[in-house]
Amino acid sequence: MNFFNYFVLSSIVFSIGFLGIFINRKNIISILMSIELMLLAANINFVGFSNVLGDLYGQIFALFVLVVAAAEAAIGLAILIIFFNKSGTISVDFINKLKG
Amino acid sequence: MNIIAFYIISSITVLSCLSVVFSSNPVHSVLFLIFTFFNVSILFLLSNAEFLAMTLIIVYVGAVAVLFLFVVMMLNINEVLIKEGFLKYFPFGFILITIFLLELFFVFKDITLKNTSSSKMNISELLNKGNTNTESIGMFLYTDFFIVFQISGFLLLVAMIGAIVLAKNENLNIKSQKIIYQKSLDKKRVIKLK
Repeated sequence: MNFFNYFVLSSIVFSIGFLGIFINRKNIISILMSIELMLLAANINFVGFSNVLGDLYGQIFALFVLVVAAAEAAIGLAILIIFFNKSGTISVDFINKLKG
Repeated sequence: MNIIAFYIISSITVLSCLSVVFSSNPVHSVLFLIFTFFNVSILFLLSNAEFLAMTLIIVYVGAVAVLFLFVVMMLNINEVLIKEGFLKYFPFGFILITIFLLELFFVFKDITLKNTSSSKMNISELLNKGNTNTESIGMFLYTDFFIVFQISGFLLLVAMIGAIVLAKNENLNIKSQKIIYQKSLDKKRVIKLK
């Protein structure tokens, strides 16, 4: 199979995740899900290129991407829960405690 | 046959990704996310990555998506407010992803991949030796990538401890065991005979 198929699919999925970060300004959970989609696009790219090149490196690296995605989701959701308990909202527009 | 299956599964994947981003109910979003993960794992099966396909289902569908579902159901979110500001941010994001895709297209349009048949991790050579996909991943993961493997395990440990510490409820109304107080008590002072 040509590598271009995998490449087009993963770039489309990555762009959808990127778009999701922009349009879901009222909901941090959707932003975290969009980040998961972007990491998934990276995994599709790794596995697809590993299949096209016949090399196992891509699959092993995709495994580490999976580990990082799981850790990131756990920490992000824990922070989200304590933020919701303290402020009662999950909108990005109201997260300005640090005055950044 | 293989390429037709690839096209069908990838178009379903793209459609369900769009539903994840654009659906207004977060629960539907999470369910479409699970559907996307299933489709991608079928794609991995088509790409001869059986171990990663099963790991994707176990880790993402079994752990991450269920975690998302719990959090979505725990928080009481007003559904009307969620799509506010959609029209304000959509054109900006659309322009940005168009630029991004155009850049990718111009970089990758005339690239040819080199064949890395000299690599020691060649999949077809490993298959000819009688190693399945899981076996060959294990063979390299526990030898060449051993330190990275240990570090990723440590990363998961740190994430687990961090999530527990963050989500631990320090509420004073809840009666909980205080170990230091318990240990420092004097038995003769507490127990009295009358």
